[in-house]
Amino acid sequence: MDAFSAVLQGLPMTLLLTVSAFVIGIVGAVPLAVGLSSPNAVLRLVCRLFVDLVRGVPIIVWLFLLKFGIQIGTFKFNPVGAAIVGLGVVSIAYLAEIYRGGLESVPRGQNEAADALGLARSTTFYRVLVPQAFRIVSPSIATYLTGLLKDSSIASTIIVAEMVFQSQSFARQHPTVEGILPYVLVGILYIVLSLPVAYLSRSLDARMRKAVYA
Amino acid sequence: MTLSEIANGKLAPRTGIKLENISKSYGNHVVIDDVSLDVEPGTVTALIGPSGAGKSTFLRCINLLERPDSGTIRVAGHTIEPGKVINAKDLAALRSTVGMVFQSFNLFPHMSALKNISFPQQKVLGRSKEEADERALQLLERVGLKDKANQHPGRCSGGQQQRIAIARALALDPSIMLFDEPTSALDPEVGLEVLAVMRELADDGMTMIVVTHEMQFARDVSDTLVVMADCKIIEQGDPKAIMSDPQEARTRRFLRAVLER
Amino acid sequence: MNWLIEWAAYLPQLMSGLGVSLMIAGVSILAGYPLGLVLSVMVGAKNLAVRTLGLAVVEIGRGAPALVILYLFYYGLPKFGIAFESITAACLALSWNAAAYSSEIMRAGLQSVARGQHEASAALGLSWSHTFFRVIMPQGMRSAIPGLMGVAIQMFQGTSLAYAIAVPELMKSAYNIGSQDFNYLQIFTLAGICYAAISMPATWITVYFEKRMARHA
Repeated sequence: MDAFSAVLQGLPMTLLLTVSAFVIGIVGAVPLAVGLSSPNAVLRLVCRLFVDLVRGVPIIVWLFLLKFGIQIGTFKFNPVGAAIVGLGVVSIAYLAEIYRGGLESVPRGQNEAADALGLARSTTFYRVLVPQAFRIVSPSIATYLTGLLKDSSIASTIIVAEMVFQSQSFARQHPTVEGILPYVLVGILYIVLSLPVAYLSRSLDARMRKAVYA
Repeated sequence: MTLSEIANGKLAPRTGIKLENISKSYGNHVVIDDVSLDVEPGTVTALIGPSGAGKSTFLRCINLLERPDSGTIRVAGHTIEPGKVINAKDLAALRSTVGMVFQSFNLFPHMSALKNISFPQQKVLGRSKEEADERALQLLERVGLKDKANQHPGRCSGGQQQRIAIARALALDPSIMLFDEPTSALDPEVGLEVLAVMRELADDGMTMIVVTHEMQFARDVSDTLVVMADCKIIEQGDPKAIMSDPQEARTRRFLRAVLER
Repeated sequence: MNWLIEWAAYLPQLMSGLGVSLMIAGVSILAGYPLGLVLSVMVGAKNLAVRTLGLAVVEIGRGAPALVILYLFYYGLPKFGIAFESITAACLALSWNAAAYSSEIMRAGLQSVARGQHEASAALGLSWSHTFFRVIMPQGMRSAIPGLMGVAIQMFQGTSLAYAIAVPELMKSAYNIGSQDFNYLQIFTLAGICYAAISMPATWITVYFEKRMARHA
């Protein structure tokens, strides 16, 4: 088997990890972002500490904690489960911070105008603030997604058979010069994979701009 | 001592400038269309006209902040053809002869007023720090801002910043000064402080080219009024004569619009 | 209570690992910032070859996972007869990473400097180097400071990946302890606390700087 097909064997797992963690993050970050911008100081502080703690500990530590440290009765995480949950929780924290930044960057006048018009708070939030915030943060979300794609490689350290893991095992079996190939190929593959995300973010940005300001 | 004497230590050699057939376009968009201008030593030329006429771009072509596509610049014994490759020596000679003051001041925000004036002297003219600082202080005193020497530009008003910017340009002993709408970013009263400094400089005999919307300054201080419209010079001559009796319809329209405001 | 006693026993060994982590982070930042500055200038260069080279170094350093670059240096290059000690490989890989990320931040900072500053410098006749080092860089770097602090935190956390090439840093020390007694939960929790104890205050300081700068902008 050549190096490229070896690396490609790990592609479905890399995509599975990235997409699952991203979905967990996108959804899970919503309540956390609301908490981060809550008028209740205690709630805000708790959410803030959670976000900063999750981001303050390297991903590899979270993965090892979940994989090796957690045992409840007979339940233990398998490597893939630990990787998805770990990357998912980290995504929740990062995306919540991005959402909060977006909500705060909507001009105060929008809130005041909505209040003056007598819109309900939920209407103001979902129909006025969120669409504008989403347009502001969509490039950051796309950047985060490419970062997450790269971070999914850390799952190889808890023996998840994604791309970097496959590169490693190919390289081990080929002690000759061609053993460097999988590392080069996998590096290029990550860069290539992040291109459509960058493209999507740009077109999404353009579409949202039109949707908001048409 | 006068402003330019302080700037030069001795009286500057009076220099004129000759611009021949300057043209500039961005792609298909013509900005300056074959403009020639002759500025006599020690005179003040006011450049007026509607916005978009190419006044600022023309001014910036004189010290090659914008590179004209064709034409010739003759200044202080140098002949510079901007369309061709210019060697660093010619560019340095041109820039050291020509000082410039911008609409947005462009002071260096991370340096004190004194440093703004003394730093270029040290780097461009190779003056010692002591000499440059001393010159800077003299100039600051002359523009009435000695007490601001150690302040950063952010803590000075717009009018003060512009006077510091004039001092900064003068410190390099230019024999020609270019002013690009020096008062447009200022409140009217504040603009007067700046115009007073410029008037004094003109009285000293500095060769000046001023892009401006200040009609009173143009009439009272300038020796030559140049009206630009649609990328060309449409009229030039004695300022009072042009203002009281413009020959071109375009000039008439412009003057009426400005004076009626 | 038990945990605290065990933690106290583990701490000395963990601290020596933390020392290695901080050393690697320090080296990669100290090498990465100046390299990043050079790269940011290269990427903005007029010369196509210089620009392409700069872009390639930046895009690979940012686009490929740190783990891959780490493996490339530690497992890949020896196959060409270029072998490094694991700590050296970690320093090289993270320096590249740091240089690539900081170059982007510095470039944004340099570009945020107003056009008028370049024009005023040109009109005064300042040379390229005086303009860049004395006028543009001091202003551009100021706005880049919070981002560069972020890179430093990212690099500190990134040292944990050196575990994968058996560098005796904090994570590796924790793993070694854990595999003796099988009390992974305690030891990785303690390791996490060590990382957080440095990263969290550092993040707060960064945010403070960010806010201060936004106010003074």
